[in-house]
Formats: sequence, C-alpha cells, structure tokens
Amino acid sequence: MPELELNFEVNGRTVAKRINPGLRLLDVLRDDLNMTGTKEGCGAGECGTCSVFVDGKLVKSCLMPAAKAEGTRIETVEGLARPGDLTVIQRAFYKTGASQCGYCIPGMVMAATSALRDNPDAGHEEIKERMGGNICRCTGYTKIIEAVELARDVIAGRMSPAALEADAVGESYIGNSVRRIDAPAKVAGRLKYAGDMIMPDMLHMAVLRSPHPHAEIVSMDTSAARAMPGVECVITSEDVPGVDGFGVFVHDQPIMARGKVRYVGEAVAAVAATDERSARRALAGIKVTYRELPGLFDAADALAPGAPVLHDYAPDNIVKHIPLRKGNIEAGFAAADLILEENFSTQQVEHAYLEPEAGIAYVDHDDVVTVISPSQNITHHRHMLAAIIDRPIQKVRFIMSPVGGGFGGKEDMIYQGMLALAAMQTHKPVRIVFTREESIVSTAKRHPSRSKVRMGLTRAGRITAMEFDMLSDGGAYGMSSEGVMRKAAILSCGPYEIDNLKVDTTVVYTNNTPSGAFRSFGGMQVQFATESMVDMAAEKLGLDPFEIRRRNMMKPGSLTHTQQKLGTASLGMVLDAAEKGSRWEAGAPTVRGATRGDTHGAGTREPCKLGERFAAGPETKERVA
Amino acid sequence: MLSCRSYQMPKSLAEALALWRGAPEGSRLIAGATDILPWAREGRAGDVEIDTLIDLSRVAELSGYQQKDGRIRLGANVVWQDFLTDPVLARSLPCMPFCSVWFADDQIRQQATLAGNLVNASPAADGTPPVIALNGDIEIARLDGDTVVTRTMPVADFISGPGRTDLKPGEIVVAVTVDALPGYGGSYQKVGQRRSLVISSVCCAAVVKTDPSGKVFEDVRLALGGVGPKPMRLTETEAMLRGKAISADLIERASAGPVDLVASRTRVDYRRTVVRGFVRAAVEDALAHAAQSAQSEEKETANA
Repeated sequence: MPELELNFEVNGRTVAKRINPGLRLLDVLRDDLNMTGTKEGCGAGECGTCSVFVDGKLVKSCLMPAAKAEGTRIETVEGLARPGDLTVIQRAFYKTGASQCGYCIPGMVMAATSALRDNPDAGHEEIKERMGGNICRCTGYTKIIEAVELARDVIAGRMSPAALEADAVGESYIGNSVRRIDAPAKVAGRLKYAGDMIMPDMLHMAVLRSPHPHAEIVSMDTSAARAMPGVECVITSEDVPGVDGFGVFVHDQPIMARGKVRYVGEAVAAVAATDERSARRALAGIKVTYRELPGLFDAADALAPGAPVLHDYAPDNIVKHIPLRKGNIEAGFAAADLILEENFSTQQVEHAYLEPEAGIAYVDHDDVVTVISPSQNITHHRHMLAAIIDRPIQKVRFIMSPVGGGFGGKEDMIYQGMLALAAMQTHKPVRIVFTREESIVSTAKRHPSRSKVRMGLTRAGRITAMEFDMLSDGGAYGMSSEGVMRKAAILSCGPYEIDNLKVDTTVVYTNNTPSGAFRSFGGMQVQFATESMVDMAAEKLGLDPFEIRRRNMMKPGSLTHTQQKLGTASLGMVLDAAEKGSRWEAGAPTVRGATRGDTHGAGTREPCKLGERFAAGPETKERVA
Repeated sequence: MLSCRSYQMPKSLAEALALWRGAPEGSRLIAGATDILPWAREGRAGDVEIDTLIDLSRVAELSGYQQKDGRIRLGANVVWQDFLTDPVLARSLPCMPFCSVWFADDQIRQQATLAGNLVNASPAADGTPPVIALNGDIEIARLDGDTVVTRTMPVADFISGPGRTDLKPGEIVVAVTVDALPGYGGSYQKVGQRRSLVISSVCCAAVVKTDPSGKVFEDVRLALGGVGPKPMRLTETEAMLRGKAISADLIERASAGPVDLVASRTRVDYRRTVVRGFVRAAVEDALAHAAQSAQSEEKETANA
C-alpha cells in the first residue's frame, strides 16, 4: 500500500505518521490518533460533526485530504480545554441543555467557538448564520443558540460566570431546570459511540446490498472475495445456524436476504476484513446472479387482484389491518347537518439521526455472543438473536451504546445479526459503521399513508360520526408496522369525543424501503388528516377553530375511541395556553381579510436571510461590506 | 471512498504543470477538494481509485490577488471566505460578499476556491453569475517545452455547457481576473433547497452604480444562473436600465424580460416566477448597497 509521510501538530503535540495518501484528515484523527471527539455524520460535508480548526480556520475534516494537513496546526474538540476541564462555551452547552443525543455537539461546540472567535459580539442571527454548516436533529437548535449567546455574554463579562452553574433546585426537580449528567462527556467529545469504539484484533465489516427491488437470488459465489487479502470471513444467509427471522411484531426478515431480495439496499452478504478498505474492495468479489421479479411500488397496487406476493405467509400482501368500531356509524351520519369528505396523503420520511448505525460484536471468554450497538430495543433483540444463532439466551448479550439519535429508527435489528455471525465465525471482534448513504438506503422510514376521511357534524359544530380509512405502505418487511397501525387507529379521530366511529388502518407489503417506528408512531399521519378536517369544518360552519375544538374535546368521563373512560383530560388547558400563546385573533377562518395581526411579532420567527455579519457593530474591529 | 496511489503537493506552477503533464491517465487536479470527496461516494462515483492527485493549494503563484488597471487578478487558490473577510476584495467586488455568504457554509468556504467552482462548470454554480457580471476572464497555464505559457479568455466563453469547459489536457487554471468596482452596490439572490450547503435552483448577481445624485443608473450588470445549461449575462435588461432615471416602474418593466430566458428542463414555471422577482430584488438591493457604498466612499475621501 502506498504511503505518505505526514507531519503536523494536533492540540499542541507534534505528530508524525505514515499514512495511506487517500485518507481524509477525519480518518487520520479518528483511526490513527483515536481522537474520536471529531465525528462522522455524513462524510459529504453536509452535517458539520467533523469540524476542526486547521491553522485557526474551521474546516470540515471529511472534506480535507489528510495530506493537506502537512505542516499545519490542528485543533480538535479534545484540545479546546485542558483535560478534565471545559471551556466557557462547553459549560454553556451543559447549562442550557444543548446536548441531547450529543452526536452533533462536538461539531457544534467547534462551530460556536469559531463564531465567537471571529466575532465575540455576534448577535443571535449572526450566530445562527455562522453555525449554518452544522446540523442537529434533536434540539431544534434553540438551546444550542441559547448556549452560544450565554457563553458570549459570560466571555464578554456582561454576565457572571455563575450563570454557567446549575440552577438551584428547591424541594422538587419538577419545574426546575436541571443539567443533564451526561452533558460534560458530550460537549467535550469524550463519550464513545459504537463507531468510536475499538477492540484489539478488531475486524471491519462491509455489506453487499441489493441493487434490485424484487429479485430471486439464483446463485451467489463468494469464493473470490474470501481469497482476497485481509478478508477473514464472508457471510450469507446460509451461515445462519438457527431460525432466521427478526421483526418487532412478525419475524419476517432474515438477517441477510434468503432466496430473494425485496428492496433496494437489502443486505445480501457481508465481509469482515482487517481494514475497512479491504472489506469494501472484497464486496466486488462476491458474484450474485439475480432473476428480477415484478415489483410493487404503491400500497394500492399491493391489494390489487393478482398482485405479486412478497412473503409466502401473507398472500394478500397485508401486514396488518386494525379495525375499530364504536356506536352506530349510519345513525351518526344521519344525525349530521354537514358531512365533509376528504383525502389526505403523507410521504416517506427518513429519521436522519446524526449518528449513522454502528456496532461491534465479539464472542467473549465464556462463549457469550456480545453485541454493542445503539439499539433502541436490546432486550427484544437479544431474544431474537438467540433464536437466529441458535444459542441459549444466557449466551447472548446486548450492550446498548450511546444512541446518537434514534427517533424510532434504531428499533430494528438490521445489522446486529450480521455482526454476531461474523464474530462467531472469526472469533474476533467485528465492527460495522454505516455510511450515511447506507443508513438512508437500508433503514426503516416513516410510513407513507393515504387516508380517506368522512366527518359528520351538527350545525353547532359537534362531530356526530367519523369514518377513517388509512392505507399505509409498509415496504418490504413488517418491522414495527403492526404497532404503528394500532397507534394510528387509536389516535385517528383526535382528542375528540365522537360517539360513532368506523376506523380502519391497513399496512401492506411493497418493494419500497421498509417502513418502521418513527416518533409519533402513526399518530402524525392521522392527526394531520383529522386536524385538517376540523379546520375545514370550522370554515364551513363559521366557527372559530379553537371553539369547534372545545365543543368536541374529550373531558374527564369521556369515552375514548377504544372506549376507555378518561379519569383526567387536559385538552382544554392546552387549547387555552395555545390560544393565549399565539395571540390568536378570535373568529371563524372566513371572517378575516387578507391580513391578520397574529402572524408576526414576539414569539414568531422571521423568514431566513443571510448577511447578518455585514451589519457593522460599534465594537467590532474589521467588518466588511 | 477515494483512494489514490500518489498525492502530490507541488510548490511552484512549473512543478505543478510538469506533474500534470506527466500524470498517468485518470489522475486529477484538486484545490479545495470539497467537491471530489463527496463525489467519490455511493450514489455518485462510488469508490474511486485515482492514480495521482495533484493538490494545487500550495502552489505559490496561485495564492493571493493583485490589483491593476481597475481589475483584480484573483489567484486560483483564493477561497470563498476571502470575499467575506478581506476588506479590499469586499469593497472592490461588491457582489462577491453577498454571493459568498450564500455559498456552502463557513467551513467549506475556508477550503473551496472560486476557480474550482468555475472549473466544475455546474449550471447551478453560485460563482459563475457574479464573475460574469464582473466581466471575468480566466487565465490558463500550460507548459510549452519547459516554458510556462498562459492564455486568457472570458469566463462566459470558458464554460461551454454543464460540466464542460475549454480546459485542455495539461492545462491548469491559474487566475480569474475581474473588474474592480468600488463605489458600486452589489447583490446576490439565491434560492435552493435550504439555506446552507446547497447549490442554486436559481441565482442572480447584480452590480449597480448610480450617478452622484443617486437618481440615474450609471451602470448596471446582471447575470443569472441555474436557469439553463450555462449562466448568462442579461445584456438587454442592462441596456434598458443604463443611463435611465431610477424608478420602480422601470425596474418592474426591466425584470419582466429575462423570464423568457429560462431554458431549464425542470420546474420551468417556478423558475420563471423566481427570475422575475430576483432580477427586481437584485437591482433594488444593489441600489440600496450602492447608496451605502457612496456614503462610505465619501467618508473615506473626507477622512483622507
């Protein structure tokens, strides 16, 4: 392998390394120097988690060939404060609760440091602008920007350093702002996520993925890949010793494609090699012959007579149908003065957590197959894996690593099985770190949905009946679909007391990327439809949107859609607070003219613009334009 | 994932040209490298093995800029952030700070070069319209025997289509020379999928100078990007405005013309609507900046 001699300085220490000339600065920092505070969230310059200072300028180390570091002075998150200490900015992040999953936070701290070094008086908008190259998925940015403003004021002496200390907590933590105990590790870049962990003799895994949405695997030849230098094992579904199948409700998914592939990106085979590049190179040595099959790409097509069947156990392609009935739907509509009918659709959504999937598996000295990963459901995974690898439960262990954002997307056991199998075959620790592209192509998404909704109302705005029919695209495997449909049905008609209901939520198999758990778990799709219907009803009936909701809201004693009697209900309080907080102009949607007074002002956000840094402040030194 | 057999960082132009002339097939020139690394990933080029990467960022002749005869010669290693932080560049190239602030993000601007943006020749490139508005010429070097020879051509002609330029084997872009326009007001309008880190769906660059009264357009330069295979200068619109009394009505009429230039294959109606609004907004915004610029020039004169 060609080598390049690299001499540079990192956090004040001189480094001399012989490196592969194709490496990025990020690779050298993380893999050669084990400085894993600098994260990789995308590898394409989009997310900012890899930001480091090079000769005082903040750059994205995933976009910088390592060779460019020759002779430079690098500063990473580990070098901002002395070991064990935190900078003012890091302490401000700790104070405001700016770190949640923490994965974006080292990059955010670096960007904040850069922003305040460039302009110690940067205002709110300028801070936002200067940190525009960094993405956070948890916080909505508010607490991050709040932290930078707090740090700015403490550094400038406008606020006391005491503002960085924990707020006093009286008799109860409830109602008081408490600092997160894991924040110091996150703001310092010390917390090790699965992709940051290394073990002696560790192998690296790469996965061969299906290029086809639906195809039969006619043959697979892994011999060339097995013979490649550095390759320690190549695994396929044939290597699975037990009952191969996982899923949150139905165990319909093999850990690697078995006989056929059902979506683009499905794992077909995996390689474990001594280094990542050898593993990736070996994928090209696996020869797979496919016979393409007709595919299903729309949920409605999956229900058509004669549609291709994806899973033999489900000849109708239905993963789950949840019917829910209450009262007398015909009588309810007969009592209505107004009947509204509308169709709604929602799209597939990616979770986009900043930490791509990663994990390490090893077989320990007692033959316990151990998997470390940011799994959101380790107990369930442990039971499923025991059956898949045919080991007793006490010989299977799952360790949950810090989750760099999940949002439901890390509930499925889509790679842990492959890791376990490779560790069992090699008796060496095996690590996988997904690329961002791999994460997006292979992991579950929010269910796309189509809903047909009928709502009957009296002239006074009381809902007399509601019919809700939702069809969801579950994609190639069941994953969390059943639970999502159940929750969608339960929440379908909103927090409203409705005596007569007919609700059906159905999810079908298609050859699209599987749908799975995603925060709100089916609630968002149905609430979008129902709340839109309520607004339309308010318009038709000339009622204030808050008022129509108050006339229908569930109260203590109400029966929910699944006929549970409520002991307490808080919607009235929520509506009051929302009405007050939004400075709502009362009235039906039809009574206003072209403009309204409550869409601007305090508490509302102006449209995005750039160029805040051009506004010269009185205390700033050299400003431009 | 990018791999290479050899990574070279020449220090002089002659060294760089010699390396480039002798580089095996499939070798690449890079400057900021912000485009090549995302390119070598799944969904684009995938895993790429390149023989020799020739990194130009340490070539002495390509760094910095010189001012001469009302023009500024920007070395090919001038990075985007320089247009925000260098007071001379910001004052002399009034549309560039506004373009720069919309280009990628603060980190990428520290690495990415203007010259690299032009050489990529994306129809949606942020950098081409302002350079065309500033009558930009591109300077290209090659070796003739052992002698470095250069040729210069307008950027508007250098870019011949999407991803296509007039650059020939063995040649390296060494500089971009543009008009220095202190006292002008600049503007850059851009819309993309989000605020940071996106190329333009549509962009419009403007530089405007008024007469001393501030009531007449003395000079107007406008260029559009993202609406066809290559960026374009709006010469007819400029002619409608140049020498005329400034009025909202005139600007409104002038901004209607470029709508018909939209030659994109997608989202044509959207782009037509945006173009009209952008041309108007760019002229108005540049006028406002021209007034500020005139004031600060006056102040400087008074101080001197």
